[in-house]
Amino acid sequence: MSGFALKRPARRHTLISVVSMIDVMMILLFFFMVTSSYLNLDMVPALQKTDEPNADPAPTTSTQAGAPSTVLIRIAPNGTMAVRGQNVTTDSLTALLKARLDADPLTPVVLFPSGGAQLQDLITAMDTVTKSGAVRVKVIRLGAAK
Amino acid sequence: MKLRKPQRMAERETVVALIDVTFFLLIFFMLIGRLDATAPFAVKPPLGVTGTDLPAGGITLSVAPDGALALDGAPIDHAALDKSVTDRIKKNPDTLIRINADKTTELRIVLNLITEFEDLGAKDVALIVTPETP
Repeated sequence: MSGFALKRPARRHTLISVVSMIDVMMILLFFFMVTSSYLNLDMVPALQKTDEPNADPAPTTSTQAGAPSTVLIRIAPNGTMAVRGQNVTTDSLTALLKARLDADPLTPVVLFPSGGAQLQDLITAMDTVTKSGAVRVKVIRLGAAK
Repeated sequence: MKLRKPQRMAERETVVALIDVTFFLLIFFMLIGRLDATAPFAVKPPLGVTGTDLPAGGITLSVAPDGALALDGAPIDHAALDKSVTDRIKKNPDTLIRINADKTTELRIVLNLITEFEDLGAKDVALIVTPETP
């Protein structure tokens, strides 16, 4: 008696081409290289409001006993900083602020820049004040009368 | 006597190394790059060493030294800016507004913008700085 056997056809060795994958990867690589920005950016808060009432009370200008007196720093259009009418450098301002903050760590510091000063001048002043350890810092400006 | 050159074997060039390097570069650029919308004008942010990390999300307003504005990379005028910011704040009152102003921009422009945003109901406005010289 003769039988027959079914033979499985030999599997064909398929080759998967990786050329299209390389193409897609190259396109993605160029896309990310061209469109991304590699500048290290940080931020300085300019306005922060909380829903809690009186979360950060406005600094007082009172010089009564027990109330901290504000340090007002003016910034001239040319970027020069002045405290009580005296021009100060970043070093002398740091020394002045440290002396005031040693006496009272919650001393409010108010920056009053001229509208003609540049943004870099304000950021430099804010850096100096922050590095001195001040925690209550405000920027004020003259608003138009309503 | 005639010497026969041995037949050169066709070498199969492997692309595996190329794929490896490309993948490495792709992941590198994806991780270190930021896909922020760039302004249609040059903006050099001010140098500031006490800034904090810039969170993602929110809207970015670019300000040129001459006061030209661009919101999320598209040029915009003051009236349209107010409307757009008002809409965004209505949708999400906690929207972060990032001001990417050039370091030479006059403060009258920047501070007026911050006051405008405050009047529109913004709660969170930040100035973009860079800790290193661009």
